[in-house]
Amino acid sequence: MKFSPCNLLGTAAAAMIAFGTATAETVKVGILHSLSGTMAISETSLRDTLLFAFDEINAAGGIKADGKTYTIEPVIVDGASNWPLFAEKAKQLLEQDKVAVVFGCWTSVSRKSVLPVFEKDNGLLFYPVQYEGEELSKNIFYTAEAVNQQATPAVDYLLKMGKKKFYLIGTDYVYPQTTNLILYKYLLLHGIPVENIGGGFRKDADGKVISAGKYTPFSHTDYQQIVAEIKQFAASGDACVLNTVNGDSNVPLFKEIAAAGLSAADCPVVSFSLAEDELRALPTKDLVGELGCWTYFMSINTPENKSFIGRWDAWLKTESYPGVVKEKRAVDSPMVLSYDGVYLWKAAVEKAGTIGVDAVRTALESGSISFKGPAGKTTMQANHHTVKNVYIGETKANGQFKILKEFKDVAGEPFILKGLDEKLAAGK
Amino acid sequence: MSLLPRRLNASLGLWVAVVFAAITLTRLTSFAATAAEPPAAEAVIRKRLALAIVAEEADQKREIRELALTGSKVVREILSAWPKDRILLYTGDGGVRIPALIEDETDADGKSRAARIDTGAFLADASGKTLRFATTDITTAETDAALRTVLQLALDAMALADPLPDARKTAILKLGNSQKPLNIVILQERLPLENDPDVKKAILESIALLQLGDPDPTVLKAAIEQLGRLRSIGSLDLLKRVSAREGLSPEIRRVLAESIHGIDNHINNVNLVGTFFRGLSLGSILLVVALGLAITFGLMGIINMAHGEMIAIGAYTTYVVQNLFGTGFGFSITLPFSFGGKPIAFGLHLPGLNATGSLYESYFLFAIPLSFLMAALAGLVIERLVIRFLYRRPLESLLATWGVSLVMQQLFRMVFGANNVQVGSPTGLVGHFDINDVSFGYNRVFVIGFAVLIVIGTWLLLTRTSLGLLIRAVMQNRDMASCIGVRTNRVNVLTFAFGSGLAGLAGAFLSQIGNVGPSLGQSYIVDSFMTVVVGGVGSIVGTVCAAIGIGTADQILQQTTGSPVTGKIVVLISIILFLQWRPGGLFSIRSRSLD
Repeated sequence: MKFSPCNLLGTAAAAMIAFGTATAETVKVGILHSLSGTMAISETSLRDTLLFAFDEINAAGGIKADGKTYTIEPVIVDGASNWPLFAEKAKQLLEQDKVAVVFGCWTSVSRKSVLPVFEKDNGLLFYPVQYEGEELSKNIFYTAEAVNQQATPAVDYLLKMGKKKFYLIGTDYVYPQTTNLILYKYLLLHGIPVENIGGGFRKDADGKVISAGKYTPFSHTDYQQIVAEIKQFAASGDACVLNTVNGDSNVPLFKEIAAAGLSAADCPVVSFSLAEDELRALPTKDLVGELGCWTYFMSINTPENKSFIGRWDAWLKTESYPGVVKEKRAVDSPMVLSYDGVYLWKAAVEKAGTIGVDAVRTALESGSISFKGPAGKTTMQANHHTVKNVYIGETKANGQFKILKEFKDVAGEPFILKGLDEKLAAGK
Repeated sequence: MSLLPRRLNASLGLWVAVVFAAITLTRLTSFAATAAEPPAAEAVIRKRLALAIVAEEADQKREIRELALTGSKVVREILSAWPKDRILLYTGDGGVRIPALIEDETDADGKSRAARIDTGAFLADASGKTLRFATTDITTAETDAALRTVLQLALDAMALADPLPDARKTAILKLGNSQKPLNIVILQERLPLENDPDVKKAILESIALLQLGDPDPTVLKAAIEQLGRLRSIGSLDLLKRVSAREGLSPEIRRVLAESIHGIDNHINNVNLVGTFFRGLSLGSILLVVALGLAITFGLMGIINMAHGEMIAIGAYTTYVVQNLFGTGFGFSITLPFSFGGKPIAFGLHLPGLNATGSLYESYFLFAIPLSFLMAALAGLVIERLVIRFLYRRPLESLLATWGVSLVMQQLFRMVFGANNVQVGSPTGLVGHFDINDVSFGYNRVFVIGFAVLIVIGTWLLLTRTSLGLLIRAVMQNRDMASCIGVRTNRVNVLTFAFGSGLAGLAGAFLSQIGNVGPSLGQSYIVDSFMTVVVGGVGSIVGTVCAAIGIGTADQILQQTTGSPVTGKIVVLISIILFLQWRPGGLFSIRSRSLD
């Protein structure tokens, strides 16, 4: 073993406990992320954060339950950006390694692929990345932002800014499609007429809108036509763009927007998939002044956040896990939500007094499990989503966000579409 | 080198020079300089500002209006910071209140410095140490609703006098869309002062927009007619809203319908011209990326799967040159295996020039020839190491070059990381100009010019130089050329290097509009082959026609179907059908070497 203060602390803590009254034991905890393939760029950061959280808990004395003190032993598996493989790896974690809990998944399709496995084997999964909602499994806890903790607060903010026209654009898959459909209905409810919602609609045979917005495939590069359309749409003023484009397609999109002279002052773009970690690889010069909405920003000015970033930097210097990149690291919302998930689970285990899945779930559902993390206080609710603060920020040239607005204690709600439909029907 | 004839040198030199001239011109036009204020004037303005902030209410308002007339940047900065509570009132010696602007940036403790408004220097204590303030325990200059209105009016008026026409236009249209009739006066005052025809049009448009809210039917009618005459796209929404009003006279309804119809027609025309321009620009991109392949695959018959990686070399060269002009470039690689118990690691660090401003932005001028050279060099090495053994076995060249492409992608990952890297665009390439509401992006105009130049350059090389003659001879019949004394080896290596160099040029350009990452080449390889095959293998003219044709068809279909995916599908299906009809492509060449 390489010498490192972190490991030394861990050993020392474990040694001390061994001499205490409680007996020391390890608990296996699964990490299920893509460490190779197209999603690896994003998901390896989450693995790193999880390892950091485990090291921190072990160094601080582990988890006390079942009359023992548990040290966390991570079991890392690679989903390889391959959705069926995610299900196999989940099965391996639950049936072979018998892990107490799994932290993992990024894309919605990977979550949908492991869901049946977790339900069959009665496992426990913490899911950390903003998603479209319309799902609730008794075996999954969503520390992720639900649509009403990201997209709809952003729209509220834009409405308050006096924006009257909204253009929807996204990558063609489940998260942007669902989110844009919700946003379309949300905008109608807030008095925005259909002709002021741009991007086009697709209707079913009865004339009901089933898809709203403009969609491009993954890795799309030619945004000339779309930006020209946005420019005409925005010509009458008070317009903005709601952007759910994912991944590196954002580069040609924003370069085209900059070239077309659509400034953030006239027609701001709110991006729901661009956080600090993604901004590291984007030309931030072209994004200055554009908006973002998350439940955590690295620039949050609280002692908790400062201390968190300090500990993270210190951990990066000393850790010796293979494959962890040490230079130019940023922290962002999915990473912090992974971190929060670990501590929520720890709090639930200690409340339940056992690592058994059913008891932990009951504790989490009680509504009294909360954690004061870098993003503020996070409380798990009975609906498996959390109550937390939502922030709106403006991109700066250094790849950070300047926080413009904070919504306190927003309760996550997975099922929004049905409520919106009912309200729209009642309004007619 | 004896093989590069002087005439070739001259023609190459000529078109590189033209590219440079083109960029320099676009760059110069974008330098609508914002003249710096003389320091003396700024000092006076700062003193007056500082006094205005602590002045009595009545004086304050007069002073703000007068300061706004100076059009000074400092005034704008301070006046816009004021209502945001960013003006600190610091109590100095003897109870004197000193206003200062709080900085945006905060340090680790959440404190920030404040710059004195009267001098511009940071507030410091007696010993000269810069003071830092926490936002929670300071007194700021307060504003009330009346003062905020005055400030907003002053800022609006200042924006109308901005030295940049685009900024003026934005400010004017903002007032036009405000639906506050009060703003008509500000605009009418500005109208005689304005010289720029575009901005003048925007003022007329905004005045008419505001008059749409006028209760007097004659004013309303005149405004509607005016908007119709100006072909104001931005007013379409409002005009439609007006037509939904009740109790309009038939006369006004007629005018309204005419104006809306006129504007709709105008939008159609704008879309038509815009679509053709965008088609031309997409076609030029296809052409730029495919031209190199038209040489290596089309002429030489090598199924070159590493063509995409040559493009990536060009893009990465641009990135490295950019960094050398900035803070420098370095990398270190540790190989995954060890030698004698020690891991093998090597690295490189090149110091940067730390250039700023226009010198930094001129990096792109150097990046263009360098990306050609680097890609050509890589092509040369690959030809010597791999391809020269495979001239008679085209199918094996597919596998071998595919392997080379994988190796190169991994090399990019090791040197530059798996993430995309950032390449900034020089200001001359960002932005656009409008002609009759059709916007032409500088980078798009640039790529069209760029494509024309490299096609002409390639054509000159192939038809007007003795190297070109040799290339054509060798490509038509390698053995016969060899028999009559042509050094086919040299011609092969130079042709392949030239084709690769062209791909490198494409990479330099692509870095300006898209991502630069290890898999950059993969996203263009299919498009490149498609263009060359549709055009007819071996024909440069065919490649040009195919690129422009595919680009335009793609944009027209995108416009008519409203979806980028459907457009692309239709294009691909048409290509398949087309190749069924003409398997040889647009311009098929009958040649023994291709049979």
